[in-house]
Amino acid sequence: MSKAYLNYAAKRLIQAAVVILLAYVFTFVVVSILPGDPITNVLNNPQNGFTPDEINEIITAQGLDKPIPVQLWTALSGFLTGDLGLSMRTNRPVATLIAEVLPSTLVLASAGLVVALLLAAVIAYGTQFLPKRFGQGLLRGFPSLFLSVPNFVIGLVLIHLFGFQLGIFRVIEPNSFWATLFAAVALGIPISAQIAEVLIANLDHESGQEYAAVARGRGLGQMRLFTKHLLKPSSLPVITVIALTIGELLGGSLITETVFGRTGLGSLVQRSVSSQDLPVLQAVVSLAAVVFVLVNLIADLAYPLLDPRVKLIGPSARRPATADEGFTDLSKAVTP
Amino acid sequence: MATQDRLTAPIQSVKFGAPKPQLLVPLLRTEGLSVSYGPNQVVTDVSFDLNPGKSLALIGESGSGKSTIARAVLRLLPSGGRATGRVEFDGQDVLGLSERRFRPLRGRVIGFVPQDPGNSLNPVRTIGVQAMEAAALLDEPSKAIRKELILETFAQVGLDNPRRVYDSYPHQLSGGMLQRVLIGLAVLPRPMLLVADEPTSALDVTIQKRILDLLSRLQRDLDISLLLITHDLAIAAERADSLVVLKNGLVQEAGRTAAVFSSPKSAYAKKLHADVPALNPDRYARLRDPGFRLLDTGAGKPPKIEVSAVTKRFSVDGKVLTAVDNLSFSVPAGTTHALVGESGSGKTTTIRLLLGLEEPDSGKIVVAGQQLPERSSASLRGVWRHLQLVYQNPFTSLDPTWKVEQLVREPLDRFKIGTPGERVEIVREALANVGLGEHLFSRKPGALSGGQRQRVAIARSLVLKPDVIVLDEPTSALDVSVQADIVEVLLSLQARFGLTYVFVSHDLALVRQLAHTVSVMQRGRIVEHGTVSSIFDNPQQPYTRSLLDSIPSAASGIARLPQPRARRILTKEKIA
Amino acid sequence: MTIASFHSPSRRSAIGRLASLRVQPTIVLSIAIVALMIAWSITPGLFTNHDPINGVPAHKLLAPSAENWFGTDHLGRDLYTRVVYGTSSSVSSALIAVVIGVVAGGLIGLLAGFFGGWVDIVFARMVDVLLAIPKFLLAVIVVTAIGFDTTNAAIATGVSAVGLFARVMRSEVIKTRQATFVESSFLLGGSRWHILWRHVFPNASRSVLPLAVLQFGDSILVIAGLAFLGYGDPPPASDWGLLISIGKDYLKWPWLVYAPAFVTIATVLSVNRISRWLRKTD
Repeated sequence: MSKAYLNYAAKRLIQAAVVILLAYVFTFVVVSILPGDPITNVLNNPQNGFTPDEINEIITAQGLDKPIPVQLWTALSGFLTGDLGLSMRTNRPVATLIAEVLPSTLVLASAGLVVALLLAAVIAYGTQFLPKRFGQGLLRGFPSLFLSVPNFVIGLVLIHLFGFQLGIFRVIEPNSFWATLFAAVALGIPISAQIAEVLIANLDHESGQEYAAVARGRGLGQMRLFTKHLLKPSSLPVITVIALTIGELLGGSLITETVFGRTGLGSLVQRSVSSQDLPVLQAVVSLAAVVFVLVNLIADLAYPLLDPRVKLIGPSARRPATADEGFTDLSKAVTP
Repeated sequence: MATQDRLTAPIQSVKFGAPKPQLLVPLLRTEGLSVSYGPNQVVTDVSFDLNPGKSLALIGESGSGKSTIARAVLRLLPSGGRATGRVEFDGQDVLGLSERRFRPLRGRVIGFVPQDPGNSLNPVRTIGVQAMEAAALLDEPSKAIRKELILETFAQVGLDNPRRVYDSYPHQLSGGMLQRVLIGLAVLPRPMLLVADEPTSALDVTIQKRILDLLSRLQRDLDISLLLITHDLAIAAERADSLVVLKNGLVQEAGRTAAVFSSPKSAYAKKLHADVPALNPDRYARLRDPGFRLLDTGAGKPPKIEVSAVTKRFSVDGKVLTAVDNLSFSVPAGTTHALVGESGSGKTTTIRLLLGLEEPDSGKIVVAGQQLPERSSASLRGVWRHLQLVYQNPFTSLDPTWKVEQLVREPLDRFKIGTPGERVEIVREALANVGLGEHLFSRKPGALSGGQRQRVAIARSLVLKPDVIVLDEPTSALDVSVQADIVEVLLSLQARFGLTYVFVSHDLALVRQLAHTVSVMQRGRIVEHGTVSSIFDNPQQPYTRSLLDSIPSAASGIARLPQPRARRILTKEKIA
Repeated sequence: MTIASFHSPSRRSAIGRLASLRVQPTIVLSIAIVALMIAWSITPGLFTNHDPINGVPAHKLLAPSAENWFGTDHLGRDLYTRVVYGTSSSVSSALIAVVIGVVAGGLIGLLAGFFGGWVDIVFARMVDVLLAIPKFLLAVIVVTAIGFDTTNAAIATGVSAVGLFARVMRSEVIKTRQATFVESSFLLGGSRWHILWRHVFPNASRSVLPLAVLQFGDSILVIAGLAFLGYGDPPPASDWGLLISIGKDYLKWPWLVYAPAFVTIATVLSVNRISRWLRKTD
């Protein structure tokens, strides 16, 4: 642990804390200041059947009668102490609502990530072993195709083929093993494309490097060249990409849970959106941001320890690169 | 593996000195070798022989196909490259072999020393791991002994602390050390042939010489044949027994070094010979004379540039680094002053100080009688009216989205010089002065060659009619024949307009051709200064002498050749 | 396979190479598909004789045929016609999203990258926040706040893309700002604004263009996702995502999902292909 690294870690830590706080403020501002004032809309909607007394009670309970900076301060200090407030729809604590559905989403998201990693590895490493003319072009086409398919379509196709046609799982049992597996596949496919694209780009870049030619000049065959030389430098930067796909996993589970009829954070968001239950939305979005920032913080802190190429300069030694960004040469991004 | 034994068996017998009539079978022979990438043929019908223990240089500028030939011999062409013809190794055609049967030859029989040591070792693995790969080619079962052999080889190639090198990652070593490592890895399995692809072009001049000396020594001691790829005729003449001169993938001339060198026959070899600075120190004497007269008569006073006791420090990671230390020099009007030094000598900082892009910690700089104002002060713009810079790399110094005419016109527009009509005239004139035709005016830099781009860059600084132009290695990114053209342009402009140049370079041979006075820099200080003739003919400091020694001199190489014995001509001329 | 292999070696000019790239059949196909989509959005009536809103109940849930290329839906409407009429709002909303992302993100990135210092710090943290919230979730809360319809879904999608464009533009600007030609222009008398607008901006934008095209495809997907969840225009609108959403309740008649999905995928795939091609020819 060099001094430069500790310095970098401290800066990165502070930066992460600032971003989390700002993300909370940002969502608060979006839901409370933007035109339309969804809260009064909900309360005054006769269909919801609130009496004027109840409306006043909710307004007082939520602190909606106070000026917005005060509301923000109350909410923010609550957020920092773990108090996420009360749901407007059910009047139960938001934290409880989230805790109920979180495990299911965690299972789906981690299974989705595993599927994505496996698929990406098969596609990207496969290109190294298939001949140029036969099969390699096909493999290289996969990420592009995967990125062009809406993930709800993937889900519907899987349900149609494996649920209805082949009868491997029943749609009415969304938490069964097979249903969860196919949901994870639907969630993982678009993410695998992002990872595979970066992996393939890195492999192409590394195998075009002079050191690869020199190693072959030392008598190494394709297999040894891949395992001894190309695998590590091309795979290390993927840590960064995986951390970035956490956001996609959380966002994607929203749709996947709807398609497969699972309960989870996604369906909670769905319900909160349709009933305009803003405290829940605010909490879920902030939570997603916290998870994203923390995962990326860990990746950023781990990366310099794993990749000897990285020299630390300034607070952001690593510029994150995603597959959909794809334009910044990743190996350049990590070798200043 | 039976196939492998069959392949290597005859080679081994040659290697261990069997009384084989060596003259009959060259170690490496190419016959009608052609290489193409898709529809583009980059090497056409190249034939040459390289006998055991001898050295042969492939010489050419960029695009000549010299590196492609090296890769074709090693069968390391990038994907899409296709080689036809014959490449015989010890009498056997290897081009037709399957990859599986050829692979045992790589490393074990043919070693490879690459061009750019900085990119030639895997950055995420230690040197030791990669050295073990080379050591695996030895028939030595014990890992401990293999490691000993590696450390021995590292010592042999002049690495001071083999153990530390073994445990290092590539980025922890300097370029010169990495190139020693790579040479060590190449010779470790005791190959019969070493293919060295521009082994020194990425290194400083004094290190260049040491690396070339090392290669020559290993070649002699280990009885290895050397296929040397280089753009530098002087290096080739100094180091190789025979030469093949290439241009656009075609052999222009081939033969014994002494023959090709002393009396080149082909037009291209003649031009190449005339363009190499090291071989033609007085080529531009006529254009340079006015400057010398100014120096002699003292008419150049007062100096256009006066740098007195300038010091500049940077702090890096808490450590203070003195980039420029008590620097003083002056440049009389109408003459060229050269700042010579290797990387880290403070050349670049000096340029930035001269242009006011950095502020000196102490000392002062006077340009055309005016003291340089503070950095980021508005009056710096006024200084740049009289002081311009030509960058080292014309591939990065011109905005790729602009047209030539716009580029040259930009300074006129910015400084609001003349009416729009006059500006068009000035641009035309400047472009004509640097020898660019009107058909190029509407091109973008991407559609120009390196030499043309550098001419545009010169024209750009010329339109302001500055007194002083700082030339930052203006030809080091260019081929030698293009370099000669650019130098010619620069010197004739000086003769015509009485321009004053500050010429920054690591290339002493080039400095000798075009400068009037010289300062030799080392670690931020001027170690020696004086007129060109005093520095080159009578150097006082050991560092200056070592720099001068590192200029490749063909004379020493030719003297090395065994003159009296009748030698078989190693190469066949085959000019398509 | 490019036509380049039929060229003689002498024809190696830049134009020749460009021409050989241009004839890649997949590029031609991609451009044709995108052109067809544009035509569908401008004059849907030219491509079909059916009514997109009023169906013939007797003809409901028919399989694809020569008469109904994509079959008919549960109300007896011709699905092909529905898809064609839905193109306009699907494509134009993606366009709105890209414009918002490029203009707002590009401007933030340009200013942050060029001026550096506290401007950069403030903008960089703002962008970090935008990137920290999952893109789709961000679009969902924005569209919740401003109301459910397709235009708002487009705005929300655009907002969720601002962070990406800002970051790419910023890094491009920083890269360009350090380029030698920028310093050269400075030495030749260029002012800050001159350098920003004439050198940094054009060069940095060059790599944003293919990204914008790529984002166009991505926006189609995000907006389709929002429409699928019911955050776009309600029926009888026929946005692609909405069509698929309706189709999912009739999986026994799978063309109701597959046909609009196929059109969506073909469009996005073509757009992505064009983006890659632009990046290569840059």
